[in-house]
Formats: sequence, C-alpha cells, structure tokens
Amino acid sequence: MNIFRSEPMRVRSWAPKAASLTWRLYDFQLTTYAVLLLLFGLAMAYSNSVGATHTTLSPGSPFVRYLMWSVIAIVVFLIATIFDYRWLRTFAWPIYLLNVGLLIVTLRFGSSTGNAGTSARWIVIAGFQLQFSELAKILMIIVFAAFLAGREAKVKSVWTVIGAIIILVPPWILVMLQPDLGTSLVLVGTLAGMLFMSGVSLRWLGTLAAAVVGAIPFVWQRLVPYQQARLLALLNQGQDPRGSGYQLIQAEHAVNAGGAWGKGLTNGTVLLPVQTTDFVWGVLAEELGFFGSMVVLALFVALMWRLLVCSWRSNDQFALLLGCGLASMMLFQVFVNVGMVLGLVPITGIPLPFITYGGASLVSVMGGLGVLQSTNLRREPPAW
Amino acid sequence: MSVRIDRLSVTAKNVYRFGSFGLAIIVAVAALSVRMFDLQVIQGQESYTIPQGEAAETISVPSSRGLIYDSNNIPLVQNLPNFVVQIVPELLPVDQKAVVVRRLASLLSMDPVAIDQELDSTTGSLYDPIEIATEVDTNTARIIDENGDLLPGVQVVSEPLRLYSNGNYPLQLQPGTTRQPLFSDVLGYTGRITGELSAAQKDAGYSQNDVTGLAGLELQYESQLRGTPGQETVALDSSGQIIPGLTTAVTPPIPGDSLTLTISSKEQYLAYNALLWGIEATKDKMGGVIIVENPQNGQILAMVSLPGYDNNMFAEGISQAQYQAMLNDPAMPLVNKAVSEQYPPGSTYKLVTGTAGLQGDPLTGQPPSITATSTILSQPYIQVGNERFYEWNKIGWGPLNILKGLANSSDTFFYQLTQKIGLQSLTDWAKLYGFGAPTGIDLPNEAAGIVPDNVWKQAAYGPGQTMYPGEVLQAGIGQGYDAATPLQLLNAYCALANGGNLWQPTVVKSITAPDGTVTPVTPTMIRKIPASAQTLETMRQATREVVLIRHTYDMVDLPIMVAGKTGTAEFGTAVRGQLPYHEWFVGYTPANEKTGSFDGTDSQLAVVAFLYGADSWGDVATEIVKYYLWEHYGLKGSPLNQSLPGHVNLWASKITNNYNVTANNH
Repeated sequence: MNIFRSEPMRVRSWAPKAASLTWRLYDFQLTTYAVLLLLFGLAMAYSNSVGATHTTLSPGSPFVRYLMWSVIAIVVFLIATIFDYRWLRTFAWPIYLLNVGLLIVTLRFGSSTGNAGTSARWIVIAGFQLQFSELAKILMIIVFAAFLAGREAKVKSVWTVIGAIIILVPPWILVMLQPDLGTSLVLVGTLAGMLFMSGVSLRWLGTLAAAVVGAIPFVWQRLVPYQQARLLALLNQGQDPRGSGYQLIQAEHAVNAGGAWGKGLTNGTVLLPVQTTDFVWGVLAEELGFFGSMVVLALFVALMWRLLVCSWRSNDQFALLLGCGLASMMLFQVFVNVGMVLGLVPITGIPLPFITYGGASLVSVMGGLGVLQSTNLRREPPAW
Repeated sequence: MSVRIDRLSVTAKNVYRFGSFGLAIIVAVAALSVRMFDLQVIQGQESYTIPQGEAAETISVPSSRGLIYDSNNIPLVQNLPNFVVQIVPELLPVDQKAVVVRRLASLLSMDPVAIDQELDSTTGSLYDPIEIATEVDTNTARIIDENGDLLPGVQVVSEPLRLYSNGNYPLQLQPGTTRQPLFSDVLGYTGRITGELSAAQKDAGYSQNDVTGLAGLELQYESQLRGTPGQETVALDSSGQIIPGLTTAVTPPIPGDSLTLTISSKEQYLAYNALLWGIEATKDKMGGVIIVENPQNGQILAMVSLPGYDNNMFAEGISQAQYQAMLNDPAMPLVNKAVSEQYPPGSTYKLVTGTAGLQGDPLTGQPPSITATSTILSQPYIQVGNERFYEWNKIGWGPLNILKGLANSSDTFFYQLTQKIGLQSLTDWAKLYGFGAPTGIDLPNEAAGIVPDNVWKQAAYGPGQTMYPGEVLQAGIGQGYDAATPLQLLNAYCALANGGNLWQPTVVKSITAPDGTVTPVTPTMIRKIPASAQTLETMRQATREVVLIRHTYDMVDLPIMVAGKTGTAEFGTAVRGQLPYHEWFVGYTPANEKTGSFDGTDSQLAVVAFLYGADSWGDVATEIVKYYLWEHYGLKGSPLNQSLPGHVNLWASKITNNYNVTANNH
C-alpha cells in the first residue's frame, strides 16, 4: 500500500481502474445508442443501395462504402477512447491552427462542386474525398472547450464572449467562403450552446444575440449586390422548383407516404433524387414510418441525454464542455436536418449525424464520442 | 480532491443551465415529433396513394425516322445504330462528380477536362441530359450501362444515326475534295433541338435534346418523317433508375413515313458533274446551281447547289469551328442556292417583256404592243434623260422582230419594248410567270425574289419613291432591282414550254406510310398563264431561234432539239470598268428530243444552270446545260466520260477561238 501511495497520481488513478473500475466508468449506454444509430445509418445506406442498377455488395455502392466508413469510424472511436483526452487541451492551439490550415487548403485546392465552379468543399487524398468542414466542427468544440475551461475563473467577463467570437471568426469565414452555410451555422449554434453551458453571463450572451440580429441590416447594406444575391441564393434554395424545392416537395410526399408503420426498408417509392445526402430523413420516414422514425429520434434524445449526463458527472471543466459541445452540435444538426425535411426550417445543407451518408461526418462524430468516453475513463472516481 | 469537485460544482455545474439544455432537447424533438405525427399519421392516410404514382414514370419512346428514297426506290439515307452517352447533372452527386468524370473519361478515352467543360458550360435544368459522346461502340456502351452504380447520373441512350448516301453512286468523301453527297442540299440534315423549344414543338410533344430535321426535306417533312413517339410507363426504384422488366408499353411508337423523291440518283449525278465541271473550268469560288424540272407536272428531276456541304458531317458530329467556318463562307455552302437565294436574272427575263409585248396586259386590258412580225430598230444606245443605255455589242442590230430580238438578246430592242408596254404591264406579267413570290416547292427557306414596282420601291427605299424611267428600262431586261431564284426562272420557262401551266414544283413524288400505303403527291397548278397559245408559241420559237443563230455557239450541233435563253447579269461593283456578272442558261427540249418541234407543248425536260460571278468569256452556263443534256440523252462522244482536265482545255480553246466578244447582257 505504501508503494501505491508514493506513486504519481496519474499512474495511481489509471492502474487499479484498468480492469474493474474502468468498465464501471465507461458509459456503455452512450456507446450502445451510438452503435444503434450507426446500424440505422447502415440500414438506410443498404436501402439506398438496393435498386435495379445497383449491386448492393458491389464496391462503391452506398452500403459498402458506409460499411467501410463505419469500420474506420469505430477504429477512430476506440483510439480516441484510449487516448488521454487531456493532451487535447494541451495542444488546443496547434489543433486550432491545423483546423484553419485544413480549411485554407480546402478552399485553395478543393474540388469544384457547384455548377458555377466556385465552391470547394472536398479535398481528394489517395482517392478519398475528405470534407474537412465536418472535422472542423469537432476540432472547434475542442478549441472552444479549452478556451472556455481556461477562462473558468473569469467566465462572467465580457471578454470571454468576445474572445470566443474572435476564435470563431477565421474558421467561420473560411467555411462561408466554400460556401457551406450549413456548417457555418452549426459552428455558431455549437458555440452558443457551449457559451451557455460554460456559465457565461446571460446578460452578455443576450447582448451578443441582440447585437448580431441588430447588425444584420447594416451589414446587408454594406454588401455589394453580387454578395447579396449569393446570400439570397443560399437562403432561398427552396424557391427553385426543380432544384431543392423539388426535393422538399418530394421529401414531404415521402414522409406522407410512410404513414404510421412505414413501407419497410428498401420499399420506398417516392423519387428523391439526392436521397443519400441531406434529405435522407424523407427516405427513412417513408420506409420506417412514424413509429420507426420515433425510435430513431428517441435514440438521438437518449444519446444527447447520455452526453449531458457524462458532462454533469465530469469533474474537469474541459471534459464537461466537450460533452456539452457535442450535445449542442447534435441537437442543432438533428433539429435543422429533420426540420428541413418536414418544412419547419429553411433548407440548408446540414447532415443528420449517423444517418446521412458521409464518411467525414461519421468519423468526426464517432471520434468526438470517443473523446467523451476518454473523459469518462479518466474521471476521478467518486469517493465511496 | 473534494475541494476540486466542490469548486467545479459551483462554477460550471449549474443545474438550471443543464436543466434548460435538457428542456431544449425535449422541446425540439417534441416539435419534430408533432410534425411527424401530423404528416404521417393524420395526413398520411389521405395522401397515401398519391406517391405510389411517383415510382412510375411515363417516358417517351422515340419512333424510328422515316427513310428517303430516290425516284427509283434506291435508299438515300440509312438509320445506323448509335449509342450516345449522357449525364443528367441532378443525378450526379457533387461529391462523386470528379471520380465519375474520371471513370467516364477513361472508358470513353476522352480528356476529363472536356467532360468537365461540357458539364459546367451547359445551362438549363439540371434534369436535362447533357450529351458527352456519340457513336460510342457497343462494348463501351454496354460497360457504361451495366455499371450504373459506379457512374451515377450517366446514361446510355440509343439514338440512330442518319447516314446519307448517293443512292447507287459511290460516296466520295476524301478530305480536300469538293465532292459531297449528291443530295445534301435537298435532303438536309437532322440534329438536336437547340435553345428553347418553340410553342409548336411543345405542342407536338418534343422535348429538349430530341432530334428534329434542321434543313432540307428533313426539316420540310419533319412531321411525316418523325413518326409518332410511343409512350412507356416504367417503374423507378428509389434512386430514380428504371427497373427492368416492369415496363409496360402504353402505346408503341409508330415509325415515320418514308419519302420517295422525284429525283433519281442518276440525274442528280449527271447534273452534279455538269455543274462541278463548269465550276472547276471557271475556277468559280462562289459556285452555282443546276436544276432540272419536268414542265408537265412540276416535278424536280435534279437539283444541285454548289459549293455544298456533306450532310453526314452533321450526323457524325460537326465541330463548332467547322460549322462556324461554313456559316461565314461567302459562298454559303449551307444554303440551297437553288431556292433560298435570289439573283438578277439578266436577259433570261426577256421572256416576261416579250410575252407582255405580244399579249398586252390581261389585267388592265392594255392591248398588245407588238406582233410576231413587227420590228423595232436596234440601235447603239437608247437615251433616257441624260443617261445612255447601250446595246450590249455597242453597235446595234438594225430592225429586229421579236424572234431576232430575243435570239440576239438585243438590249435596245427590249428597252424600247419596255417603254412601249410600261412598268405596270411588265410587273403584271412577271408576277403571272411566278416571279416575286415563292413557288411553294416542298423545300424550306424559299426566297420570294423581287419584281420591282412603285409599291416595292416605296417599301424598300421610303415613301414617295417611284421607279425612275431608267430603272424601268433595267427592269425590262432583268437587271437593276430584278431578282429571282434559279427555281423561279426555271418554273417560268416550264410554263412557256408546256403551253402556259405554271406548276408548283415538288421534289417528293410520294409518301409511303409504315404499313406500305403509298400516297402520291399530286401536282398542283399555281395558275394557267393568261397568254394565248399563239403568243406562247411565238416565244417558244424565239427561244429556239436563240439556239439556231448560234447565240449559244455549238448547242445547235447537238443531235437534239434545244430551245432556251442565255443571261448575263451584272452585279456588284466594277473592276477595271467592267462589272462582274452571273451567267445563266435556261433551256428545254421537246418530248421527242430528236424529231420534236417547239410548236408543241409536250416538253418533259427543262434545265436551268446558274454560275455566280462566273465572268467567263462566253456563257459557261450554256455549256453546263449542254453537257448535262449530252449525258442525259446518252449522245455519242460525251465529254463527261473523259477526264475533267481534258474538258477544261477543250472548252477553254473554244472560248478563245469563237467567243472573242465582250459578254454584256446577251
């Protein structure tokens, strides 16, 4: 016993937990909900792969690619779990610079994706298309968490809010230039949630919100017409009756068609031309019906619930804010993505975590959850 | 340790904030759930059946395009199988665009940049397919078709290619040659509808990218050749791909009607060679026209406009640069100059002036100005005001009757005759002969020609303008403002040859429905020309006199009877005091070419040849017609059986020896 007492705290806290206590700290519920959502995503990818001209198991079908990304995501999840998350706080600023660098690289060398040839969101490396803006969401949660945890003592100061905004601006502008309105909104939403949870003065938060809303007309007037037109085009995507407006109409048809019990997986009949992406909820609602959709929504709620519980249990402000950041991001994405298909919010390109087919999104979210499990494992045990 | 936990619980673990966040989650998901419940459970039942139809889509099945045969039922066009690779932009996910383009480029051996450019430069709906490659070989087409999941948005459609031929004459398409498919100008070509669909096209059920006739008969008979596209209801899977085996044909496509021309490949070949010979002999870069018509019914027996184009270039895919070059070519290779261009007819127009003089004006009741025997004094020139209008030989011919006046093409004879009959009578007769209005031939873009009178001059030059006396004189000899298409001129002479029946020319003899029913195209008469048989016979004798007095040099030596009229029409601006001139000859033969006479009206063959700005000494158009007739009637020693350079030398020697006169309005 004497030997143990004399050991440094980190070794002491890790060694005895290795077998029994570690599993007690590990949040199995969190992992379970995440894996269940992953399976739903896999099911949707399978459904999208079944068709006359698709061979479900051919390399390159959505199903096989989702399976491949799932494996990568789970590996990243496990690595993140084992990795000591505290290193992330130590290296928060290099991570921030890396993030900004990746976004600059995307902008400079990214693939053209739009008709006008002006947008650049993907970087192709070794045949893989990497969307760094998905990674940016998670990296920015880490950076914000480190920043806000460092200002723990002065969190009520107005400079906490101003500092967070200064950190946000460079990556936010880079994402807007791609242009990726969806991701930029997610970044703002996530930061707002994290500021709120970090204990920032509600007065300053309210002042900030009022300032942003109040500044819109002034900023709008300063924009040159083509910038205004570009922003309007981004906001009014639903107005194009054959583009995303068509998507919206078809998505609503699909949701209607699902009824209470759905048509069953792969039996969806409503034509949704871009169904693997941001409108996947329409397919899911049609094939799984109201009750199936409720199960998926319930899993999201449960996952967010576990994220909040992990945060609450944490005794490290950095770890607490990581959990809150992930929960904010997930809430924002679920609400905007599903709300968009249901016609509740304007159309913006925001993926639905786990369900939307997209490797970068899946790997980023699973990596974030892995970091959270890492905080669980390294939590100080309750004194019993 | 407990101190740390306590401190944290005070600053960050604010139960109200965690509670608020939890509440936000519940409110947000509740809102989504309520909306889902509304859409799926409450509204879901009533609209449940509507989306069922979404999985089925009615698509148009193209009908096979009708064929075109020459008058001997030799096919002039074939439909060849042809696979076209297209991309529907909306079905190509943006994140896969680069890789799909790369795969497609390697399959098609294309430059990926070219595909990218094609995709990025195409505006319009994202659902309209963009053509990437045509004439894709069957194997590649199958590979692309079977790998739909690797190539999202890429589709292969079968779209028959029109291959045009020369009938039973070999197609000569070597690069650098002026040879072309014989029937390019008549048949035209097909292509995709570019730009916006017209209202009529929408009504007829065309969609963007459909193939339609763009020129010639392919355009004129589009509605018959196209047939009726069928309709098919196909089942679609959730990604919009067609599920094979679940196709129900609603209506099968009906193939288009086939056309049988009045033109035979042989006549077209002879006419083509005669014209080409004339062009090469005079090194005429602007080209010319030859048309052969049957005066008895208006059927066109041959029609060639040179320089022409190869209509197979359009079927095989013409580059924008090639197309632009042809559009900018002053010789207008894409225009059928036989019907779509108008030129001053020159002395050939003296038919109108002569008929008006002999007949008077039936529309105004003006009496005849001359008889078949009365004479007018041909002088060196006629003075009108300060201007002198010269005889073309600058000397004059002395007293001439109408026969000799026309035979020598005496300008002063017809100047004075024009003065006698007046502008009204001249324009009335021009219009009666069909000048100044399209003939109504079944070919597109026909020009109307110009018959100048005071009304026309006011419309063209402004209010208050009238025809000056000098301009009236010019109008009387087919100069000045007069303009006619080669077809109009030929058709007028056909009316002369057949005793006064002005027929509407046709190039299609019959239309054959897919079930084999043949509908002949019945000849339509435009009008019976109100000239007495006597008048027309006099004019026919006058045209025969042209040949008899060797105005057409050795045409009279042919063992066949030919009558006709030469024309030399000045235009443009003078070079070294001499205006450039077009050359014309329009002639016809009696039904029995060896023993017939021009008292009769049984002519079955009339020919016009026109060479733009030929500037030859002598009349190359006459020679073109002569050689055509020589070949047509299979006369001995046909010059066209010899090699072309020989003709040129032979012909050139004739000019230098025998035609050493200034060609000017004769």
